[in-house]
Amino acid sequence: MPHKLLVGIFALLLALPLTSLAQNKTITGKVTNEKDGTPLPGISVTPKGGSGGTSTSGEGTFSITIPASTEVLVFSGVGFDSRDVNIAGQSVLNVTLKATTINLNEVVVIGYGTQRRREVTGAISKVSGDKITALPTPSFEASLQGRAPGVQVIQGSGLAGSGSVVRIRGVGSISAGGDPLYVVDGVPIVSDPFLRKNDGGQNQNPLATINPNDIESIEVLKDAGSAGIYGSRGANGVILITTKKGKSGKPRFNYNNRFGFSTWAVRQKFLDGPEWLQMRQEAWENDGHTGKAPLPGGLTWDQATKNNTDWWDLLTRTGFINDHNLSMTAGNNWLKSYVAASYGKDESYIKGNAFERLSLRGNFDFQVLKNLKIMLNTAWNRGNNLRVPAAWAGGIGDAMQNALPIYPVYNADGTYFKNGMTNPVFRREESKWRNTENKYIGQFAVEYQPIKDLTLRATANIDYTTSFDDRFESALHNDYTDGRPGIAKRYYFNASNMQGNFTATYNWNPNENSRFSFMGGTEAQEYKRKAYNSDIFAYTDKPFWKNKSLYKHVRDSLEASGARTLGEVDAWTFVSFFGRINYTLKNRYVLQVLGRADGSSKFGPNNKYGFFPAASAAWIITEEDFAKNINWLRFLKLRASYGVVGNADIPSGAYYSKLSPGDLFNGNPTLYPDNIGNPDLKWETMRNVDVALEFSILNNRISGEVAYYRKTTIDQLLNTGIMYNTGFKDAWRNLDGGKIQNEGIEFSITAKVVDQKDFSWTVGGNISRNSNKVISIGQLTADAVGGGSNDTRIIPGYPVGTNYLVRYVGVDPSDGLPIWLDVNGKTTKTFSLDHRVPVGSVIPDYVGGFNSNWSYKGFDLGALFTFAIGGNIYDGAAKRQAGVITDWVIREDLKDRWRKPGDEAKYPRLTMNTSTYAGLSSEWQYNSTMFLYSASFLRLRELTLNYNFPSTMFKNSRIRGIKAFVTGMNLLTFSKFPGGDPEIARDFDNPQDRNMSPNVTYLTPPQQKSVSFGVNVNF
Amino acid sequence: MKHIRIYLFILIAATSLAACSKFLERPPKGKLEESEALKTEENVLAVLNGTYNTLAGGTIYGGRVQIISELMADNLDGQLLSEDFGEIYRRKTSIFGDYKGDYYKEAYLIVYKANKVLQYLVNVGADKKDRVEGEAKFLRAVAMFEVVRFFAQPYGNTTDNSHLGIPIRLVPDIKPNDRSTVKEVYAQILSDLGDAARLLPASNGEYASKYAALAFLAKVHFQMNDFAKAYDYANEVLVQAESAGSTFSFDPTIDTRWSLGQSKEGILLIKNRTGNFEPGKDLRDRFRSDVRLPILYFNNQTYSQFLRPNDKRKAWLNNTKYADKIVLTKYNHDQFDLPIVHVTEIKLIRAEAAAELNDAQKLTVGLKDINDILQRAGLDKLLSGTSAALIISAARREREEEMIGEGNRINEIKRIGVRNNQNIDRRGSPFNCNGFILQFPNNEKAGNANFVMNAEGGCL
Repeated sequence: MPHKLLVGIFALLLALPLTSLAQNKTITGKVTNEKDGTPLPGISVTPKGGSGGTSTSGEGTFSITIPASTEVLVFSGVGFDSRDVNIAGQSVLNVTLKATTINLNEVVVIGYGTQRRREVTGAISKVSGDKITALPTPSFEASLQGRAPGVQVIQGSGLAGSGSVVRIRGVGSISAGGDPLYVVDGVPIVSDPFLRKNDGGQNQNPLATINPNDIESIEVLKDAGSAGIYGSRGANGVILITTKKGKSGKPRFNYNNRFGFSTWAVRQKFLDGPEWLQMRQEAWENDGHTGKAPLPGGLTWDQATKNNTDWWDLLTRTGFINDHNLSMTAGNNWLKSYVAASYGKDESYIKGNAFERLSLRGNFDFQVLKNLKIMLNTAWNRGNNLRVPAAWAGGIGDAMQNALPIYPVYNADGTYFKNGMTNPVFRREESKWRNTENKYIGQFAVEYQPIKDLTLRATANIDYTTSFDDRFESALHNDYTDGRPGIAKRYYFNASNMQGNFTATYNWNPNENSRFSFMGGTEAQEYKRKAYNSDIFAYTDKPFWKNKSLYKHVRDSLEASGARTLGEVDAWTFVSFFGRINYTLKNRYVLQVLGRADGSSKFGPNNKYGFFPAASAAWIITEEDFAKNINWLRFLKLRASYGVVGNADIPSGAYYSKLSPGDLFNGNPTLYPDNIGNPDLKWETMRNVDVALEFSILNNRISGEVAYYRKTTIDQLLNTGIMYNTGFKDAWRNLDGGKIQNEGIEFSITAKVVDQKDFSWTVGGNISRNSNKVISIGQLTADAVGGGSNDTRIIPGYPVGTNYLVRYVGVDPSDGLPIWLDVNGKTTKTFSLDHRVPVGSVIPDYVGGFNSNWSYKGFDLGALFTFAIGGNIYDGAAKRQAGVITDWVIREDLKDRWRKPGDEAKYPRLTMNTSTYAGLSSEWQYNSTMFLYSASFLRLRELTLNYNFPSTMFKNSRIRGIKAFVTGMNLLTFSKFPGGDPEIARDFDNPQDRNMSPNVTYLTPPQQKSVSFGVNVNF
Repeated sequence: MKHIRIYLFILIAATSLAACSKFLERPPKGKLEESEALKTEENVLAVLNGTYNTLAGGTIYGGRVQIISELMADNLDGQLLSEDFGEIYRRKTSIFGDYKGDYYKEAYLIVYKANKVLQYLVNVGADKKDRVEGEAKFLRAVAMFEVVRFFAQPYGNTTDNSHLGIPIRLVPDIKPNDRSTVKEVYAQILSDLGDAARLLPASNGEYASKYAALAFLAKVHFQMNDFAKAYDYANEVLVQAESAGSTFSFDPTIDTRWSLGQSKEGILLIKNRTGNFEPGKDLRDRFRSDVRLPILYFNNQTYSQFLRPNDKRKAWLNNTKYADKIVLTKYNHDQFDLPIVHVTEIKLIRAEAAAELNDAQKLTVGLKDINDILQRAGLDKLLSGTSAALIISAARREREEEMIGEGNRINEIKRIGVRNNQNIDRRGSPFNCNGFILQFPNNEKAGNANFVMNAEGGCL
């Protein structure tokens, strides 16, 4: 049991005698900026080759007690060149540090430890906290877009709190989750977007509650050399989130806020009432009918022509953004603390939709003894998502679907018009929906150094979530006529994710040239989720969140009667053993070997444990004598890694053949088989090669990295592709003979174009090319693996998520009928699903971002462009919006249709009868390249102007600095896609759909565009 | 001191490792693990019991079998149907379409469950073993019979029935398989039903009895135009029905067959238990006409069948409630018991089979069957000595009326098509045109590249 393990770890620590250290000396001093002499806080001061250390206070001062034998102190800090200072005979040191553009000595978090940037052997991208908070994105992970090479971030829709699809160096999974593992301060947190399935056209995003202002930095582990330490869960990469920690010195405060306005970035346009009627009539007459076309919704032509409702307009608004953060950091020799509180509310442009975030965090480091440190990191976050239905579920989706411009909002008698659609205005007014998630993350760690160079660390972590899905429907909404005022419903669950680990790190320097670092550890994790077997409900006139006592009463009575029980619905565990050895020779050759053995309750009894090794190496060429004389070359490193990592992101209990008890039948008990189990079920395996060159030239004014990788995934976890005549639609198994390859090149560069005292200009950017290719899917055929209802497939020779469509040639000018290509490329006028071929890919060829920053005196102007080149968008709703004329809205571009012989048009003759287009079975099967578009886009993701008030202004006050800013997000979008926003991550049905169908839209609300401003005050 | 630390560490590591194997087992709460659970007779019986629930559920006999049948046949007015219903009605189903795809999967779920029960039959006590085996085989046969009629050209479409039928799955696993011929499929169905008739008791409560198996044997042989056997099995069922103390018998009036507890016609009848299990909801949802205009309504040609003077069954259709729409009233109930196979149908089989056999003695029996039905409907009886040909046409006509909305017509179009090489479809399709059978769901081809799909299109 992990509990035993944890108790054991603590017992072990307590059993250790407290060794007293012999013969110490104390050094004090101050660290300042070489450029202007200002004190530098937060600079770490460590004895070279020894252990322990401190960091400078807010005034740049430090005091460190070290063994008398120590000769050299290392001063290092973010944004500065580190320095080794000989302390022979000194007790007071004043040190100056020089700012750098490329920070080779910056500390990089690598999972169960840290490394200096220059010695990192794996592929790790670091994004600092200020980049994460630069934009009012719906959730922190969206802010990674364009910031890190090899990391593709497709932000979800414009709904408040929506999540992003994050792909690190492509996707190699089919049915198993393709998302990276998210780790906050060493705690692997639950990021599953399917905890509430696909509800209301949105996947609930558990990451949205995390306060971006608490984030110090994010490290993205991309290859086996780095993510390998996470073993069976590292294949999709790992995102390490490090929160802000307390710094030495007197209490310092930071307050920042943001106010802003949001609207949609790009939307599609639909026909208004008169135009819609005209197109319908034309279709009717084309079909050989005379007279007026029948109208939906029970309307006569007279009634219909009187209406011209703009549903989009009725459902949207200008949203208001409002954000406040207050934090404090303080520290002395015993205690360092970071305390922060935050409130934010982001209203989307959809009426009734907002995400409200509250958070509190306290991070405390207690230096109990010189060699004993206790750390407590704790945070409480609440996300209130005021939900609205979207996409297929209606609401704003209705305005893109069957809320027709010819329908009125109200009938003549003032009641809601409800024919032919769910009136979205009625629904908004008569129902309420709120999703509340409380997330508590707590970490308790003890770090003990029994002897020099040996650090033992025991950690106990908890990530606990409570989730409330509250709905209210009025009497009018539910047609209650018996006096019931309405109904309040709540769907509740809680999830506890507990984890404990123990690591031992030993540094050994056998001689001047060799440095070893050994790390070994063990870890246990247990996840449990509990939910009620059904909703808690009461007939009442307001939602439960406004009447908590009623909820408690109803819940208790339902529980007492046995009608509702809170039971475990999901549980899984991991037990792991891992180790890592680093060897540095002559400061220029670095070798790292690591391995992790993972056992999990998710794996079948025949494959309980997997082992995942990786090896990596770096050669710092500029340390070689031959390179030392090349003046323009400041730093050059070649690194390479190879390793095996796994993916275990599948539901719990999948390998069991399960039977569920059901209701009585004929008075006797029943049992229902849930699935066909599989005792062989195991992780999927990814083999990964990474080779990269890191460089810095021309006095560090230009720096960058070029990387190549190849990831080969085998034993794909598959939950589809079985024949229906088994009695089931799916069954979990490892795909026999499956092989998917992601191969790519990443390039990133930063250049300081102008570097003067008052004016500087920096440009930077990254571009990644990922080539995704399915090598084999064993015995399965092209239709075996589909991405939900999204018409994407997995086909050998093509990328994961290939559009599999009938090719559309154009319109025959003589009769206006569509011309297709059959599989052999011959034109035909008969549509057939047998003509489908792989024609497009939802994966772009290149993604990336580039930025430019200008600083002039107190002003900073920054711009970030993000882009995607290549790949396709498939608009799954277009077949109804711009296909056969049905009771759906009509997209504006359908105006370009054939009307009479001789017309050259984009779209065929209009019809209301599927049989007009020969071979078409139903309007849902009208999937062709007619609705396949280029996915390339360029977006001005961020444009920010900062002004730093001169420090002379508040010389005599407590204030240390004030910054004011104005930021525009998604101000400009360049794309050829006629269906609205070209950046699409729709609502997904399951991980397979999510892996295969980004860039497939189905009534997806476009992203937000916003302008916001605020101040940031330090005092 | 140092040693103590090492020992402690080893101790902790050892205990934690030993505890690991148990820590790594998380059987889902509230679920039973099959191989453990099915060691008991009680649980095997519970799986079997749940199979009836599936059989009577909305995806099979609780609605979808009848609805798909009616959509494909010629009784409905389906001009304005769209999406899945539209493509089934227009006899042009494609590899997609969840409505029929889910039906197919659910029918095979019955096969899977029956196979599971048979796999664990060893754990059932000797006193119940025959009954359990008989019921499992009955359920498997019934599910396959409906599927083969939807997804394969009819029995007799080729002289040796070597044309492709449906996959036969007798072992509950996920191995890919191919379609068997229609001959093989019918042989399997008959073998299962034969075993069931042999193993099952004459009376088996609400579960399948020997007579349910015999009734289905009659239905299957009738579908095969094998009239001698159809007659014999139907006769065996009806002799029982006519005997004193039988649990099933011919209803004296027309309006009880779809009712709550008023009908004795069900040879296999799923009882309604309000609040617990209410079979037939899907059927009511699509046809029920007293509360709103249903999505499915009938055409004039069908209505004209009911216009003989005094025909009480005219009340089953209503052409006045909704302008220009002919709706069904048969299912206008909040609940009803669901007959899976009933006496009227078996009587119609016996009558027509008797006439086909043209055996004097049997003809008398058959004539009486027709007259029972005519009389109940308020119509004049046929005279004794009516020719076999006339009895056949009477049986066919009464069948169309009696079983309106019950999904019978499509099978008659095909059976008679084979029997007489005649296209009786009033919408003008050849009985064995491509679209007259459903296309298999794409998953069949997806999971097995060699799977032969049906040819598509070209019926209307």
